[in-house]
Order: sequence, then structure tokens, then C-alpha cells
Amino acid sequence: MPKRSKLEIIQNILNIIKDNNNSIKPTPLLRKTNLSSVRFKEYYTYLINKQFIFEIEDKQGNKRVSLTDKGYNFLSRYKSIVEFINEFEL
Amino acid sequence: MLPQPQLIGIGTEAIYSFIIIVCSFMIYFATKELYDLTSHKGIKYFRFAFLFFALSYIARLILEFLVMFFDAQRVFDLTPIFGLTLITAYIYLSTMSLFFLLQSVLWKHWHKRNLYLLHVIAIFVALLTILFNNPLILFLINVFLFLILIFIIIMAYRQSLKKGLDLYLIYILLFIFWILNIINLLIPRFLEIFQLLIYFASAGIFFIILYKVLKKVGSN
Repeated sequence: MPKRSKLEIIQNILNIIKDNNNSIKPTPLLRKTNLSSVRFKEYYTYLINKQFIFEIEDKQGNKRVSLTDKGYNFLSRYKSIVEFINEFEL
Repeated sequence: MLPQPQLIGIGTEAIYSFIIIVCSFMIYFATKELYDLTSHKGIKYFRFAFLFFALSYIARLILEFLVMFFDAQRVFDLTPIFGLTLITAYIYLSTMSLFFLLQSVLWKHWHKRNLYLLHVIAIFVALLTILFNNPLILFLINVFLFLILIFIIIMAYRQSLKKGLDLYLIYILLFIFWILNIINLLIPRFLEIFQLLIYFASAGIFFIILYKVLKKVGSN
């Protein structure tokens, strides 16, 4: 499997959250991303800091992750972003 | 009051510079959202290239205006405060704009310290302007720089996986018009016959890049 780019990994993480009704626990998210826990933590922190995702606690007190509007915006713009990067070989 | 031909010259120069400045700022601001979303280094350098293009053309416009207004034969005849400061700023900003463009394509292969080195080279070239105060030496330095840029972009094209010739061709044309613009500024009336052609072609290149950017950025 070819090495995924940073943008691909971000898109992958955000899509997993979205496909789970925009609410998923961090542990299953880690499992589904196929990343090492260290790399996952790096991306997780990055996405929180970039305000693409946010954490909430459900009624049972479990931590869950959801997309912000910015996260949705990234997903909707992803195709344009990749096309732009490819067009100008950035 | 300025004689009629000079007024026409200022008008042409103003329109030309205005087009380049507007195109460059449009590219810079149109790609802001993409950069905010991705923090992608290539997009950052690409945006910086056009920000520096816009700033360099603002400096250039002021320079050309001063040359015409004071009826100087060349920019070096202007007073040191106006002339040398502005031409130093112009040389630094325009050189950096091309370096940023190169960096946007090559950042994956280059070490970060290369960017600092490019800044040093641009400052060095700009400072040589003050030291020598001679258009011929400055012209030779810029031709040398131009040849290096062409060599790097051809090497980048050969290493490119996508082999998108049109992009590299646009960049090479951009470099060619950059050097012609510098000659035009350093030695006024040297390329007088071709001046309008250079202006049209330069503006055309910026329009093509702007069109490509807006087509991709606005596709959603």
C-alpha cells in the first residue's frame, strides 16, 4: 500500500467520523484509521487544534469525537484542494 | 506638465502594473481558504510568490513613475532615497517572488535552510544594486540569476512525475518576462519597440495563472 499523504490521512479520519453519524469514540477511530497510536495522536491533536473536530461526552460519560463546520468544509473542499495541488505540482 | 508621450507612457505603465498587481493579489487571496484548511507548505510558498509579485510591481510602478516624472534617463539617476531604495526593494521582492515560486514546486526536495539561503541571495543581489550603482552590472547579475532559475526549473521538470509541461512552460515564460521587465526598468527605452508586446505577454501569463487558480479554487 503506498504511503498516504498528510492530507489523505486527514480526509480519511474526517470521513470515518462523518460516516459514523458524526460521532465516534477515539479508540474505534484509531482502529479504523490504520495508523500507529503515536501517529494517530499527532493527527488527533492537530485536528483538534485546527478546529476540524471536537470532543464531547455522551450521557454515559464516554468521550466522543465529532466534526466541526470547518471539518465538513475541509471534506467538501478536499477534491478542489487535491486538484489545485496537482495542477501546480505543489 | 509632462509632454504627451510621457503621459501615455505613465498611463500604459499604470494599467500594466495595475493588472499584474490585481491578478497577483487575487491569486493570493483566492488561495487563502485552501491554505487555512491545509497549512500545506506548497500552497504557502505559492501564495507568497504572488504576494511578492504584487509588492514588487507596486515598487516598480512607483519607480517608473518617478523616472518619467523627473525625466530621468534611468532609475540610477534618481535621488538615492527614492531611486536606490525603491530599486533595491524591487529587486529583492521580484527575486524572492521567483524563488518562492521555485520553492512551491521543489519544497519537498529542498531543505528548509535553502529558503533562508534564497533570502540571503535576494538581499545580496539587491545590495549589489546599491554597491555598484551600475545598470550593466545589475543586468549581468540578473541574467546570471535568470540562467540559474531556468536550469533549476528544467531540472524540476525532468524530475516531475506528472510531466505537466504547460505549468513549467508558464513558469519559464514568467522568468523570461521577469528578466525583460528588469532590462526595461534598468535601461529605459532599450526595449521600447517591444515594450507593449512585453507588457501584453506578461499580463497574459498572469491571466493564465489566475484563470488556472480560479478554475480550481472556485470549482466547488
